[in-house]
Amino acid sequence: MSPNARIVLLALAGLVLLPGAAAVIAGLPAFGSTIAQYGERINAVAPEARHVANMVSAINFDLRGLDTLGEEFMLLAAITGTVVLLRGRRGEGNTERAMRRPGRAVIPRSEAVVLACRIAGPLTALFGLYVVLHATVTPGGGFQGGVILASGTLLIYLGEGYAGWRDAIRSHWLDALEGGGALLFALCGLAPMLTGAAFMQNILPLGTFRDLFSGGLMLVENLGVALAVTGGFTQLFLEFMEETREAREPEEPGEESA
Amino acid sequence: MSVLPYAVAAWLFGIGLYGIATSRNFIHLVGCLGVCQSATYVLLLGLGYRWGSIAPIFYDHPPGTPAVDPVMQALVLTDIVVGATLTALLLVLTIQAYKRGGSLDPEKLRPMRAVGQSGRDRGSNRVGDGERKAS
Repeated sequence: MSPNARIVLLALAGLVLLPGAAAVIAGLPAFGSTIAQYGERINAVAPEARHVANMVSAINFDLRGLDTLGEEFMLLAAITGTVVLLRGRRGEGNTERAMRRPGRAVIPRSEAVVLACRIAGPLTALFGLYVVLHATVTPGGGFQGGVILASGTLLIYLGEGYAGWRDAIRSHWLDALEGGGALLFALCGLAPMLTGAAFMQNILPLGTFRDLFSGGLMLVENLGVALAVTGGFTQLFLEFMEETREAREPEEPGEESA
Repeated sequence: MSVLPYAVAAWLFGIGLYGIATSRNFIHLVGCLGVCQSATYVLLLGLGYRWGSIAPIFYDHPPGTPAVDPVMQALVLTDIVVGATLTALLLVLTIQAYKRGGSLDPEKLRPMRAVGQSGRDRGSNRVGDGERKAS
């Protein structure tokens, strides 16, 4: 289809859909006037019923925990697909060593960069852990903290170079983190059923409100999500970085002396 | 004024869709999809907002203080995480398409054939190649 035909088709579709969209927007409640009853009820009930201060975590890990389980496996499937597609072409055997980009000089890093990364890296990891652990108390949780932790590992690459990064990050540890996190979340759903409770029912002691240990089963689920997100996102970085390196071609051995 | 957030969401979705329809580069296309997706963030957060409310975290404020809708915020969180991994997956597919077809242009995408069936004639520019079904 030619580009012009596509634009015409898009414009036609837009014209058809525009009255419907306008009607829907006009029918929405005025911005900022009211919120949905469901959210209102959760705000009113959940601090008392679950002893947690963070309502978003209460929804993600308890009230709508089943949906998060689905999301967790969507994450797992997307990352598995990415890894399979990238590794499928490159081969499993090459993931163990740091491959070198042929023909590109290794530029030494300035000491300022190394020092900044060595200071910022642990601090970022600490901040990520803080965000993960305080999921039920203050803004944060496994998803947000996991992404911060995964980003922190990139500072190793920035400071220590690619080979140092590959030494610190082991690919199958990441596989284990990611799969283990998803498994932990699924087990959190199944374990209460052993005691005769419902799927993902919060059977652990709920702890005290506004305390680090509050929310019961939510803490374990949160940990599972944090593991899965940390492992998954680091795995994504790793696979994409590996993609920029070319596999050593066996027929031209003189190439790799860069 | 009260429909402004919804209008912003509709506009973001519209320009994202326009970008997808007119895209000549897969990476640009994935970026446009991200713009479309950010429209959903604006829409969801706009739907959940209420003037004079706090964030739904009852740490500094006692429970019972009017707070915005936490369900929408949880939905946006889900949306962002899934969006990030989906972007990664699409970029991988882009890499695959580039390696197989040698081009990032969606117009030049050819149907894939079984390897070894007809040699390597992917680069040939036959008219009507896109119409043919891979059988």
